[in-house]
Amino acid sequence: MISDMTVEELMESVKKGKMKSDEIVDYFKKRSEELDKKLSAYISKCEIKENEGGLNGIPFAVKDNMQLEGTKTTCASKILENYGSTYTATAVKRLLNEGAVALAKTNMDEFAMGSSTEFSAFFPTKNPWDLGRVPGGSSGGSAAAVAAGMVPFALGSDTGGSIRQPASFCGIVGYKPSYGLVSRYGLAAFASSMDQIGPLAKSVRDAALITEIMAGKDPKDATTVDKKIDLLKGVENSIEGMRMAIPKEFLKDLSPDVKMVFQEAIEKFEKMGTKIEEVSIPSLKYAVSVYYIIAPAEASSNLSRYDGIRYGLRIEEDTIDGIYNQTRNKGFGREVKRRIMLGTFTLSATYYDAYFDKAQKVRTLIKREMDEVLSSHDAILGPTTPNVAFKFGELSSPLDYYLQDIYTIPANLAGLPAMSLPMGFVNNMPIGLQIMTKRFEDAKMMRIARSYEKARGKFPMPKLNGGDER
Amino acid sequence: MKSVIGLEIHTQLSTKTKAFCSCKNEVDAEPNTNICPVCTGQPGALPVLNDEVVEYAIRAAAALNCEIHEVSSFDRKNYFYPDLPKGYQITQYFHPIATNGYIVLDNGKKIRIRRIHIEEDAGKMFHSSETITQATSSLVDLNRCGIPLIEIVTEPDMEKPEEAREFMEKLRDILRTIGVSTGNMEEGALRCDANVSVHDDKRSSSRVEVKNINSFKFVQKALEYEIKRITKAMEAGENVPQETRGWDSSTKSTVSMRSKEAENDYRYFPEPDLPVLVVSKERIERIKKSLPELPDEKSKRYVEKLGVKEENAKILSKEPELSEYFEEVVKAGVSAKDASNWIVNEVLGLFNADGLEFKGEKVPIKHLKKIIEYTNTSKISRLAAKEVLAEVYKSGKDPDEIVKERNLLQVSNEDELIAVVKEVIEENPDTVQKYKNGKTSVVGFFVGGVMKKTKGKADPKVVGKLVKQLLDGES
Repeated sequence: MISDMTVEELMESVKKGKMKSDEIVDYFKKRSEELDKKLSAYISKCEIKENEGGLNGIPFAVKDNMQLEGTKTTCASKILENYGSTYTATAVKRLLNEGAVALAKTNMDEFAMGSSTEFSAFFPTKNPWDLGRVPGGSSGGSAAAVAAGMVPFALGSDTGGSIRQPASFCGIVGYKPSYGLVSRYGLAAFASSMDQIGPLAKSVRDAALITEIMAGKDPKDATTVDKKIDLLKGVENSIEGMRMAIPKEFLKDLSPDVKMVFQEAIEKFEKMGTKIEEVSIPSLKYAVSVYYIIAPAEASSNLSRYDGIRYGLRIEEDTIDGIYNQTRNKGFGREVKRRIMLGTFTLSATYYDAYFDKAQKVRTLIKREMDEVLSSHDAILGPTTPNVAFKFGELSSPLDYYLQDIYTIPANLAGLPAMSLPMGFVNNMPIGLQIMTKRFEDAKMMRIARSYEKARGKFPMPKLNGGDER
Repeated sequence: MKSVIGLEIHTQLSTKTKAFCSCKNEVDAEPNTNICPVCTGQPGALPVLNDEVVEYAIRAAAALNCEIHEVSSFDRKNYFYPDLPKGYQITQYFHPIATNGYIVLDNGKKIRIRRIHIEEDAGKMFHSSETITQATSSLVDLNRCGIPLIEIVTEPDMEKPEEAREFMEKLRDILRTIGVSTGNMEEGALRCDANVSVHDDKRSSSRVEVKNINSFKFVQKALEYEIKRITKAMEAGENVPQETRGWDSSTKSTVSMRSKEAENDYRYFPEPDLPVLVVSKERIERIKKSLPELPDEKSKRYVEKLGVKEENAKILSKEPELSEYFEEVVKAGVSAKDASNWIVNEVLGLFNADGLEFKGEKVPIKHLKKIIEYTNTSKISRLAAKEVLAEVYKSGKDPDEIVKERNLLQVSNEDELIAVVKEVIEENPDTVQKYKNGKTSVVGFFVGGVMKKTKGKADPKVVGKLVKQLLDGES
């Protein structure tokens, strides 16, 4: 089945003349058309091909917070509902330059704030494994589309787990590169010090291949680094003798079901000849609190540009303050407003020291403690999420949602590379294993992930009919 | 009552491109033509620091005797206004690039500079009425948005409005000399907000900030007005609230803009899109060494080494174009004394009369040299010289041509002049009598008469000699 094929397999079959790139594009267009009716993974469709190259005819989908000229980039928000991109994000551009074909802009939580895609201003996306459950978020549309075989891969953005958590919920690979590896130019900013673009894909090798194309210094993003990272070379090498750390803070409140699946994964690592050691990273207990101070603070500033003056929604009023108030009141959803208010509060002169400044200090502490563990261990392992995908309406308080990110947030705070890849099922729903390494040791992380993937064996795809030759 | 004054100055840097994108730094282009995703705040656009901005800022900091920091960083200042596309201004709040500088006034007083930091300019707004609150519509031009600025903050070291003005003028001269800014206040390339408070032994007023001061003259005028206003209120026992006031140049007064309570909370925090700015010691040293001679040093050299009058030296050293011109004239062989006098008194007079800035090419050096030489050798009279200079300034013609056309050559030949002198003496017997009675000062009267008859061409020295000879001879 074409929908099951990885990017590498598709490239191989084009190379061998088994398929033409046009056929591949048409196939995925048709399958997308049919399955999107069930899943609502896309906000808009397109067909953008700019060049011939190594990724000739490989379709992909782009989260709707990345600029792509020729499409609307809504960030799943009413305030940008009709915003047409005037330029293309660097990461997307680099894929287009290699011949990849953009087929869709995917649904997400508004401005990437959420972990279920329920907070899209337009509609929720459904989990391909169970249409009654969320696909995770905020890159839920991208994750659902890849899991359902609507596209071979998709781009997401990850600020606190927004690639890895939906990858875990949808049974696919999700990779957040080291901070600074992939350009953020063209990614509508949520929390600039943590945002990173990365792939959602069916295999570790695909994730490596796609990221290699996107990565590298961008003169338009001052936070990118000039580092050549070879993610595929050596990815098949053995990891025997490596030392893996499992923070006991990750296991403390874990449900027995998830613990069991994780235990199986650990056993595979032991069989591969790695040493497993339980460690303690005490400051991790502050990670969620620190994140929910720093991320909203940066967001409150980043989202100031949506003011109705130059583009986007504008509610006409008699005064300039009236325009601001009404435009932002009508244009932003509840969760976005909540975070803007949180961030405005923690940055205010009166509370800056008590909240933002203190959070920055704790962030430094978390970073240091994680670096310490990683100076004596090759990687940190744990489950990506505390549970499998929840049902629509299952979570109610904002805090319940915020705790979804408990395992994924530390990598963003510390700038580390992190990947989620499927490790098993709980109640017939997939759940991911998370691997983190030192910053810019993305290649080592890939190698560990690839070794595990081989030991685990092929992971099934959800059963969905559409466009396939069945 | 004594007043205490501190200044906050914004200077546009004349770099080729904007501070954080590659748009041209050109304010007066067609509105909204020098713009891009970055400076219009499109979603996803990111700032990248223009290195030329760093170079200019360090140059300014070095010229203003500042401590320049190897590590500084950028922050966001958050507020909503239609001319601010991102909803925040990128500035250096927590760690500025330079601190602890100073400028010395002519009276020897040192005005300390607290800090210099890099930031970006906002756009320009055009309202359908006077203010945004009265306007039914407003337009925004974002050409200016993102143009690099440095903000210079002084300590409250000034006591008199004229000191503030002198500080601003000296600052402008320095900025122009080192080539980082046009320093033009009228065009907004140099802007000044003044903080002022008034106190005596017993009482002290709140601090009042005066904005919208758009000329050097108004720096002084606005402060004079404000000090008077505060003093009067204090003497009447009224409360002077801490507030921001705007200078209105049409009414020559200040009006309240906002109270302290209405001030924005700018929610400063470190700009996550820009890495910390690191400049090496070597780079700082290189920039320091590359600085040109500054106006005060230059003025001192003119006085001490070239013997120029102090007031002339000060004027000549202000502007790089002027001082270069002066030095070229001296190099061409004119004495520094003559060159300085002629340039300051005559050449600049012509430009000032037209309200123009000095432009060396309007009075070519070889022409000015000729005019000075002809005057010194009495080839033409001083009066004629001025006429020739004015014509050079106007038409650019060669002085020889002008002298010939207008027949301005001075007559110093005694044989040619003696007839005219006799004539004048004969026409004024009464005055001759006065001379004979001992009033020798009437010689000037006869010289004047001869000059009139010869249309200024006679050499007055020769005429004076002849007048005396003839009058004495008659007695």
